Amino acid sequence: MATKIVMEALSPTMEEGRLVEWKKAEGQPVAAGDVLAEVETDKAVMELVARAAGVLLKQTVAAGATVPVSSLVGWIGQPGEAVPDGASGPATGAAAPAGASAAGAAPAAGSAAPAAGGTAAGAASAGVGAGAGAAGAAGAAGAAGAAGAAGAAQGGAAGAGAGAATAPAGRVKASPLARRIAADKGVDLTRVTGSGPEGRVIKRDLDRAPAAAAAPTRAVTRRRPDGPPFEDTPLTQIRKTIAKRLVQSIGPIPTFYLTTEIDMERAADLREQIKATQGDAVKVSFNDLVVRAVALTLVEHRACNAWWLDDKIRYWNEVHVSMAVAVPDGLITPVIRNADLKSLTEIGAESRELAGRARERKLKPEEYTGGTFSISNLGMFDIEHFTAVINPPEAGILAVGSIATVPAVVGGQVVPRKRMRVTMSCDHRVIDGATGAEFLKTLKQLLENPISLVW
Amino acid sequence: MTAIHLVDLGRRRYGEVLELQRRLCRERVTGQRHEDLLLFVEHDPVITLGRGTKATSLPIPPETLTARGLEVFEVERGGDVTLHAPGQLVGYPIFHLSHHRPDLHWYLRAIEEALIEALGRFGIQAERNPGYTGVWTGGRKIASIGIHVKQWVTFHGFALNVSTALDLFDLIVPCGIEGVTMTSIAREAGAVPDLDRRVRAEVAAAFGRVFDREVVTADAALLVPPVEPAADAQR
Repeated sequence: MATKIVMEALSPTMEEGRLVEWKKAEGQPVAAGDVLAEVETDKAVMELVARAAGVLLKQTVAAGATVPVSSLVGWIGQPGEAVPDGASGPATGAAAPAGASAAGAAPAAGSAAPAAGGTAAGAASAGVGAGAGAAGAAGAAGAAGAAGAAGAAQGGAAGAGAGAATAPAGRVKASPLARRIAADKGVDLTRVTGSGPEGRVIKRDLDRAPAAAAAPTRAVTRRRPDGPPFEDTPLTQIRKTIAKRLVQSIGPIPTFYLTTEIDMERAADLREQIKATQGDAVKVSFNDLVVRAVALTLVEHRACNAWWLDDKIRYWNEVHVSMAVAVPDGLITPVIRNADLKSLTEIGAESRELAGRARERKLKPEEYTGGTFSISNLGMFDIEHFTAVINPPEAGILAVGSIATVPAVVGGQVVPRKRMRVTMSCDHRVIDGATGAEFLKTLKQLLENPISLVW
Repeated sequence: MTAIHLVDLGRRRYGEVLELQRRLCRERVTGQRHEDLLLFVEHDPVITLGRGTKATSLPIPPETLTARGLEVFEVERGGDVTLHAPGQLVGYPIFHLSHHRPDLHWYLRAIEEALIEALGRFGIQAERNPGYTGVWTGGRKIASIGIHVKQWVTFHGFALNVSTALDLFDLIVPCGIEGVTMTSIAREAGAVPDLDRRVRAEVAAAFGRVFDREVVTADAALLVPPVEPAADAQR
């Protein structure tokens, strides 16, 4: 099956790019990760990298041409293979909607790898990042599969080739019309119950599909918006009343608690994969995964990334995660700044370094103040579940329990699964019950599909 | 927090530093190197042609230039023709944008921001010229930018005229923009004691602020190829 090569977005604001030069001629062999062409926007040149192996079947755009982001520039396939005509993808689904692509990547990434189905620009960025990962040694099977999924979503660049061909198991049965509607609406087909023959998803099912089914756009929309580090919002009348009434009941911080149980099987697998491919060079702990997942969740749920400042609420656009660290005579909360912009390994290295200096009491004040949300993890003490005390002016803290193998019901069977319970303490003046619940829902999705934490 | 490691290479030939940059970028891409680098250098007179070079940007044939002792390089950076010469601060950030923002436009604007901030310290009101990447003051161009990105690792960078002999630019059509006038800090700000050193310090500090990293001065020994290739993380 031939794989499309498309103009990638080098920036969310990029609309078109100039294909400066082809680095491979038609008919020349191509390995995944090879530089196919150079693309210029403004005064920056970036390499367009192959996401599939084979030969460069066709250059559909000449060097020097300027083309819109996501448009087709060429094809990769097997020698002698015919290039599909027109813009429509081949039947195997190189350009199939996000849901099918994710299913294609399933054997590597797990059956519900979140598919990137959002904006072309965002998806393309993710594709580039993940592509670099695959080429750069973290090539855990999962990462490579994810690169395929993200790339395919942007219009077929990645063609999850082998995955799509060999993995009918996780594949969603859907009519072509349903696939197109799903792609337009950004609905993940794996989340839609089909009412057609043999559970096939048909148009009717999508007409009924609630907005909530459109969850998977998250992987690409989880980008911090440009702009100021925070926005102060004066209290509305309802927030003033909530604050006054609740403080009378439980004060001075009216806290409530939300608990959820998260399946950590895949997170454990991911750690094993990183360990297997990276050896001792890279350490990724469960805590690092939690920190990154919380940071990404906060970008999406800004309502939980906030300070209560008595006369106003400060909603932070920046994400600074405070991490409770036990020290001999108490505890201190070093802050991982801009945690949403850092990779897992950066978070890991920084949290270990900060925790080390915290225990030696060598932290500077600016290193343990200014957090926007806290995490307290007592998992290593075998604490299953606890509630943590809010660290004002922050509005929330997540208490993380141990990961225990417990009987769980999966697909109607009782099986042993690694589970972790987390409890979020919320300042009710800032966060309402449903707001906190939405936060935990996203966090749970991320940790249960941890491949999205890698790119 | 990871720092930007600043290495001042002093005066070096362009070709030598080009090869160095390419190697450092490759090492970062393959995970043999983990730190963001900012190289400062001053080049002997040289003309470089970016990927966007128009035929009209180099009115004098390359052979003539070579005969006059000017090297000409065709390179992989974005942008049109430019010229490097003594008195110009050339900066090559080798950053992993995945650890900052995987966004080339943001990166170009950030470099401009850092240079504008640094120029402000010399009383020069510099600005952007929308559509024309680079830094300008009073309609004259004071710094040029052209970059290349390999799997989100950057190389090439900016050239800021500190006390460059500006008549050298008459040899080319700088950046392919007809009618552009080049200027320098010395021309705009007049005599400033210890200018070279101060410019380097201000630019380095501004990079630290704009990219939100500590800038630490490092020895050129840092640029020696790592002995054993170590695997990088997810990148």
